[in-house]
Amino acid sequence: MNSSTVWHLAIVLTKSQLRSNQRRKFLAKWFSNPQIIIILDALLVAILGISGYFLVSKIPQDLLETFGRLEVEGLIGIPTITTFMIILFGILSELSQPIQSTSTDLVNWLPISPSEYVLGSIISLSYTYSFLLAFFLSIALGPAVYFGHSLILVTSAIMGLVSLFIGSSAVELLRAVTNRISSSFYRKSGRSGIFVRLSLTIVVLVFFQLLFSGRVVVSLLGGLTHTVATIWYVPVMWPSLVVQTLSASIDLAPVGFGLLSLGFMFALFGLAIGMRRAYWVPVPVSIRLSTHPYRSSFSRFQIPGLDAAESAIIRKDLCSLTRRREMARFIAIPFVLAASLWISVYPFGSSSQGLGPATIIPLYLIPVAIFCEVLSMTSIGQEGSAIWNLYVAPIDAHKLVRAKMLLTIMMGTLFTVALLLAVAFLSKQAPGQFVNLLLLGLVVVLEESALGICIAGKFPDFRETVRSRYVSLWGSILGTMLGLVVAGATAAPILLADTFQIAFPPTLIGIVIGFLVFVALWKLAIRQVNGLLTEIQV
Amino acid sequence: MSTVEVNQVSKSFGSRQAVANVTFTVQGGEVLGLLGPNGSGKSTLMKTIVGIIKPDAGSIQVLGTNVATDPVTVKRMIGYVPEAPRLYEFLSGVEYLDFVADVHGLAKGERQERILEFLKALDLEGRENELIHGYSQGMKQKLAIAAALLHHPRVLILDEPLNALDPRSARIVKEVIHKFRNNGVPTIFSTHVLEIADAICDRIIIMYDGRIIAEGTTQELKTKAGSAGSTLEEVFLKLTGTSDTREIVEALGR
Repeated sequence: MNSSTVWHLAIVLTKSQLRSNQRRKFLAKWFSNPQIIIILDALLVAILGISGYFLVSKIPQDLLETFGRLEVEGLIGIPTITTFMIILFGILSELSQPIQSTSTDLVNWLPISPSEYVLGSIISLSYTYSFLLAFFLSIALGPAVYFGHSLILVTSAIMGLVSLFIGSSAVELLRAVTNRISSSFYRKSGRSGIFVRLSLTIVVLVFFQLLFSGRVVVSLLGGLTHTVATIWYVPVMWPSLVVQTLSASIDLAPVGFGLLSLGFMFALFGLAIGMRRAYWVPVPVSIRLSTHPYRSSFSRFQIPGLDAAESAIIRKDLCSLTRRREMARFIAIPFVLAASLWISVYPFGSSSQGLGPATIIPLYLIPVAIFCEVLSMTSIGQEGSAIWNLYVAPIDAHKLVRAKMLLTIMMGTLFTVALLLAVAFLSKQAPGQFVNLLLLGLVVVLEESALGICIAGKFPDFRETVRSRYVSLWGSILGTMLGLVVAGATAAPILLADTFQIAFPPTLIGIVIGFLVFVALWKLAIRQVNGLLTEIQV
Repeated sequence: MSTVEVNQVSKSFGSRQAVANVTFTVQGGEVLGLLGPNGSGKSTLMKTIVGIIKPDAGSIQVLGTNVATDPVTVKRMIGYVPEAPRLYEFLSGVEYLDFVADVHGLAKGERQERILEFLKALDLEGRENELIHGYSQGMKQKLAIAAALLHHPRVLILDEPLNALDPRSARIVKEVIHKFRNNGVPTIFSTHVLEIADAICDRIIIMYDGRIIAEGTTQELKTKAGSAGSTLEEVFLKLTGTSDTREIVEALGR
């Protein structure tokens, strides 16, 4: 293994990770140099460490003992959380890679061995994500110095580094395995493979998002320190167990778990090299959807009320949504949002009968609004550089807006009905309220779809990078804010009905407001897309 | 009557002028070759004719329709292959062709017949149900060509259409262009392979730095360059002022 090759490869891969997501020139300038990470790490440690120390010194005397115990629990948890976080970021990054950038072609024709590539990649990943460890350690630094837990802090930092390498090795291993498994799986499974991939991606995204929701993390960290006896056989926990056994002054155990941690790290590293060596060149995935000879079936499904071109765009966008790995996160949004909101608010174990409109309407409308808004405002940018296909097609702005909006309306309606059924079940809604909420939800779907196209037409982002947003940063901020405002304005008559006596039914007023907003946004959307179609952006 | 009229068209991107005051016409059944070094403005000019780039000045008429005022009608008549076409990689080959056929409103029976013809002619038969993502560059190029010709276009705009094609497919595409020419369809065709331009173009325009620096038949260009017995490559290098390549070759070959 040539250490100079490893070093240079690690630098190149780090620059690639830093620059792949840059969208603005001033950020590009600052983040183009890998040294920025060390500066950020140092700044985090200095600022949070010093402020943490002063904050702890202000804690009342009677709470100090409890806080000290929590601080040790935090130090014990740092290595494990670091590993989980780096694996989470690694998985999310893999899932959001555009289909065109998954190949590692470049390294195939350079004189680099698999072991040099794997080590370079692990160093690069660990270095790039070191800010996670720096963040956790900087929070723990002040309290640890205050309580005199410096030895535990240093041990936690060292084991955090080991965990960083364990997490990076695991991500590297996952990349090699997923390259291989996905290639052979898709070749055999065709259309069902696409469905399985979509479902698995959504499950992984929802699982990890929920795992890191406040409630779950708190209970995990608490559990970690009390269940050492039952988790010693989980290798990912070994670095944390070094810190835990040291803090409990258990003789020799820290050394034992330390050696086990190092052994686990080298084992994962060796396995990652082995996998990369075996599956060095990714096999191009070639998915066959059907074995029958060609019969024009794609256009058989004509959508009533739309012409052939509009129906074709909707079908094409539906395929894009369900077949592209990087689009799965948009389908996962409503599940993640709905589950996160309900987990943090729903009174588990107590009666939900008392949940009033002020609680239910936001819990119901926020996921609906954000899902439709995101789906709609990314609908033009997600075309990427294939957008020329629409520019050269004989279609005008009206057709494009109708087609793009209708897909969001269809998906949004499905989600609204499903979420409303769940809401009605959890909060035991009467049939009358159910109908009111359904109508309100559908109007919000219409408004958000039109608003999303306005944003998509004004601020499209056609770049195909890792975690592409498909809409500019300002567009996404503006779109999300306006989306919530529009949904709020539509729901306001119902939410304020008890405060202000209104002669008309509040739901009806909400629907009328929503419909007027929709008509205005529809006209604006046509204007924006008309402007967009005058000149190709890529 | 001219079928494509480009009249004093200019286009700038920031301070860089991509196309500068370009004027030419193409007659029915004529194949016009656009030649020029990289960055000379050929692709930009073609995009303005298709109606996907708005010129800063000048006007373009395609079969009597103004591109600026009625781009949808013009797009209905044009078959366009861009340089390095990006297709919808999440669709299969036939799904993509069906999509294009739907967008152009082709009837089902006709579409089936046309798609089968193209799949067979361009050696895509047997791979048509695979996602485009798994296609080679050449297969993607063939698919883009099939999509451009599917709806019986009345004008062809082909930006380096023979890129990445195998010899058999390249020959088929050249013969298809010939057939369209015989049917009176005008073609604007760009290439860097000068032998191809020499073989299939009726007239050639050489662009340099966004401007037209020479125009005429191959023979006329050779006469203009003062080297009647030389090849089109020699004429091209002489006219574009890039003929002094000896020093570069020597440096690279060291």
